[in-house]
Parts: sequence; C-alpha cells; structure tokens
Amino acid sequence: MGSFAQVFINGILLGSMYGIAAAGLSLIFGTMRIIFIAQGTMIVFFAYVVYWCFQKAGIDPYLSLFIAVPLAFAVGLGMFYLVFRKAAALEDKNVSLLIAVGLMYLVENLMLKVWSANPRGLKLDIQGVVIAGWGLRISVVRLILLGIALVSALVVSLFLKRTRLGTAVRAASEDMEATTLQGINSVWVCAVSFAIGIALAGAAGVGMATVYSFDYKFGFTFALKALVALALGGIGNVFGALAGGLILGVIEQLASYYIGMNWIEAVSYGVFLLVLAFLPQGLFGKRGLIKKV
Amino acid sequence: MKVIPDVRKLGKRKLIWAGIALVAAVFLGTLPFFYDVHSGQWGYVLFMVFIYATVSQAWNLIGGYTGQISLGQNAFFGLGAFTMALLWVYDVTKTGYWFDPVLIILGGVTPVILAILVGLPLLSRLRGDYFSFGTLGVGMILSVLFLNGGGFTGGGEGKLLIKYVPDDLVINLRTHYWAAFGVAVLTTLIVYFMTTSRLGLALKAIREDEVSAASHGVNVLKYKIIAFAVSAALTGVAGAIYTYYLLHPMPMNVFSQNWLFLPIMMTVLGGTGTIIGPWIGAFVLYLIAYYADTLPGFEGWYPVVLGVIIILVMLFLPSGIAGLGEKIPHRLTRGFVGRRSK
Repeated sequence: MGSFAQVFINGILLGSMYGIAAAGLSLIFGTMRIIFIAQGTMIVFFAYVVYWCFQKAGIDPYLSLFIAVPLAFAVGLGMFYLVFRKAAALEDKNVSLLIAVGLMYLVENLMLKVWSANPRGLKLDIQGVVIAGWGLRISVVRLILLGIALVSALVVSLFLKRTRLGTAVRAASEDMEATTLQGINSVWVCAVSFAIGIALAGAAGVGMATVYSFDYKFGFTFALKALVALALGGIGNVFGALAGGLILGVIEQLASYYIGMNWIEAVSYGVFLLVLAFLPQGLFGKRGLIKKV
Repeated sequence: MKVIPDVRKLGKRKLIWAGIALVAAVFLGTLPFFYDVHSGQWGYVLFMVFIYATVSQAWNLIGGYTGQISLGQNAFFGLGAFTMALLWVYDVTKTGYWFDPVLIILGGVTPVILAILVGLPLLSRLRGDYFSFGTLGVGMILSVLFLNGGGFTGGGEGKLLIKYVPDDLVINLRTHYWAAFGVAVLTTLIVYFMTTSRLGLALKAIREDEVSAASHGVNVLKYKIIAFAVSAALTGVAGAIYTYYLLHPMPMNVFSQNWLFLPIMMTVLGGTGTIIGPWIGAFVLYLIAYYADTLPGFEGWYPVVLGVIIILVMLFLPSGIAGLGEKIPHRLTRGFVGRRSK
C-alpha cells in the first residue's frame, strides 16, 4: 500500500506540470478556438530562459518566476498581435493551427541552434531535499512546482471571476459574436487570454527548469501531454484542466510502475484516443461547449 | 463517372497545363538515360523530392482538399516502412525481390487499416481539431510500439536490411529514382482523378461546410474516411520506397517528425488544395533544406527559416505559390479542381 500511495503522490506531482500547460491551452482555446500546439515548446523556451538567468546572471530560479512570467506575458501579446490577430478572426481555424505548427517548428529549431541538443538542467541544492514520513518521500522542488501550479490556477481563475476583463474573457468564450455586440473589444480580449496562456507557459517553464532536465525536442512531447490533460479535464475551466493534468500524471506513474517505463507514452496517448472517442467533453467540461463550436 | 476527360471540352489553359506536366514528367522520367543519377548529387536530391512530393500530395488530399488537418502522417510513413522491412526480413510473402511490388503494396495496406481504426472514432466528430490532435498521438504510439517490439521489430536499432539484399545485385540509385518517381506520379494522378470526380466534389463540400454537406446528403464520415485511408496508403507506399534507400529503418528516423511537418509545410507553401502545390513545395523546400546546409556559417539554420516561411505564407499568401499564379489573371482562371464530371 505504501508503494501505491507513493506512486500516486508522484503522479500528482508530475501532473502539476501538465496541469499548468493544459490550463494555458484551455484559456487560449476558450477565446480563439484553437488548440495552441506550440505551448509545450514555449514552456521549454522559458525553461531555457530561466536556465540562462541562473547561469549568466546567477538569478535564483524561483526569483526568475518574476522575470519569466511577465516576459512570457509580453511575448504572448507580441506574438498575438504579430501573428495571430488576423488568423484568430478567421472562421477557418486551420490557418491558426498551421501557424502554430510553423511557430513550434521555428522556436524548436531556434532553441536547437542557440542552446544545442544537449539536455540541460539546473543543479540546485534544494533538489536533494526530501520530506519523508509515513514511508513516503516527497521531493521539495516537486512540491513547490505543485504549489506554483495551484497558485497560477487560482490567480487565473480569480482574474476570470473578479475582474471586468476576466468577465469579458469568459463572455467571449461563451459567445464571441454576442460579446462583440456588447461593445467589448474582442481583439484585446483574445490578446489578453493568449498572453495569459503564454504567461502560464512561463510559470511552467520555471517548474520545468527546476525539476527536470530538458532539451529542445521535449516541447513537442509536452504539448501532447498537455493536450491529453486538456482532453481529460475537459475544455472550459481552469481547474478542470489542472485536474486533468493531475489525473494524467497519476495514470502515467501507475503505468510506469505496473507496466514499464517504456510504455508511458503509449498508455497516455491510448487514454487520449479513448477519451476523444468516447468522452469528448472530458471529465469536468461542459457538454454544451463541444456541441456549439 | 468518367475518368478520362474529354480533350475537346478542356479549356486552352488546361491543355497548356497538361502539356507542361507531360514535358516535365517525360524529362524527369528519362533523366537517368542521360544523367548519371547514381553518382551525381541530383539523383539523390530528386529521389528525396519525389518521396516528399508523394507524402505532401497525400497530405494534400486529406488536409488540403478535405480540410481535415491530419497530424499523423509520420505514423503512416513509418508503418509503411516497417511493414515492408519486417515482411522482407521474415520472408512472409516468399517473394523478396529487390523493390518487391508485393511488399511495397502491402506497405500501403497496413496504413489503411490503421487509418480506418483511428479515423472512425475521430472523424465521426464534428470538430476538426479532435481529428488533428487525435492523429498527432498516433505517430507517438506507433513509434513506442516499435521501440518496445524487442527482437521482432529490432527495438531502437531497427532492422538492418542490407544483409537481405540479393547477393548478385548491384545497387544503383536509378531503380530508386524511377520507383520514387513512379509512385509520385501515380499519387498525383490518383489525387487528381479523385478530386476531379464526384468524390472530390464531396470532399470539397466537406471542407467548406461540413454541416451543409451532410444536410445535402453527403455521407460525410464515409468520404472523410476514404480520403484519410487513401492518404495513409500513399504515405505508406512512400515509406516503403524510402526504406529501400535507407536499408536501415529505425523508429527514430522513419517515425521522425520531419515526415509530418515538412510535407505539411511543402503543401502549404506550394498551395493547399491544388494539384501542383505539393510538387512546387517539395522542390523549393527540399532544395532549400539540402543546399542551405552547405552554405558556410548557415548550417542548421534552415529549419528556422522554414518555420518563418510557413508563418509568412499562412499570413500573406494562404493559397501558396500556386495561388500566386492564379491571383494575377484572376478572371481567366477558375482552378482545375472540383470539376464535376458528367
């Protein structure tokens, strides 16, 4: 039983990364109706930024949260206005999808050129610290990552619920046309939700840099995982996406413990295909949303 | 449904196009007679262009004409490659010739089965992006399966095919060149005739408005599955041909993301939903990829450039290079896809 609980906790901790990424995807999807496939690559990009902040300037990775997240927000805004503004307004979502594919390819290869193909990872003293008790061992950096995930989800959900702009974002994800008719600047709403989605990628990048070793190709796999988490949790709310991520983490850890490390990917995409086929609204998603779009 | 179009009814413009295509085909087809494709570098370059043109054209069928962005083409490419390789290694069909047509065709059959298995649940949804992301996982699952296949699939090392090559055979790239060229031309013809028939009309209707197509009596799921399956088959055949060149299929190289993204970029650059687009894209992008790496100080930068190109093309030239030609004499042309055959 001890080992099962351990595997379960490891799963939750692993899943918090997927959760943040999925929350970002969910937010972007809500207003722009595209699934931003380059999200994972952006996370890896910000992980590199955090890595560089530490190597070149000696900034503590957790402090660089305050660099990476605003930077990511700015990058998101820039990216939206430069690339996605026109495409987001189009009825044909394939254009945005293909632009995102191009962006992923571009950023991935840029990282390969700038940072080479060697896996990178930070070496911190805190990584060795482990909380032990009741036969369980919990790594502190992973616990902090879970904390980051929960706090970001909370901040985003407070933004959506408590601010005027957040209300506009929620309205836009219900019905973009009606929102525009109410006099809300739909471009700005899309831009903000896209930027927040990328900002979440920045937060996830900090988590990735502190916990995992990563390379330029990791983003693609990671985007897939975030998608699986999103499909599991259901599109439509931030906590649903986070929960989807945690569930996916647990599934993966169980699979790796009971089936084998090498089969993790196959199991998680198997789950993905099953969910898409039989439970398209996800576990916590709203049924109506899928039918409408 | 008539297959061969009536020559007299074709417009002048179409005759010119057909003439250009014929001249190009004859030139490329007879190139090995007056150019040594085995030792000259153009032999290899054109071989790769043909492979990419095939995969791009196959993607064009499902992504361009039907409007369903498949992100699983690398799964079909790799599956075709491994089907051919494993059947050859275990001598299942007892044929084992060099460029065995039986194996190459079977390399196209297994992807069809996969496409139907994956397509049925994913394509029955109204939402296109479910299909995109569902297929995205397929390449991953397959490469994991082949990586974990142990001795049967050779795991991460794949299978070394060189020892199964007939002893008295002298490998000449000429065979590869013709095989790849033949497959590319065949693919283009299949896509052309599929899309200019009633079937193509149904596919275009689905692309433009699925709900409307369904309400006009088009069996949306059936046509989407057909397009996806044909696309998968052609991609698998390309994978099998490529493996005859590679002779060492590994999950890492035949399921590589390049077989997914490059063909998409080629089609987008050349022009989605046009018959010539994938060819233009394959030529241009492959030549960029091949020669950019030989420029000093520029090694490895070309994928970055390709990424920029695809974004720019999507933003400013959504109909690709092929669309450029149609933009200028706008009134004169009506495109040559979607013609209803009587």
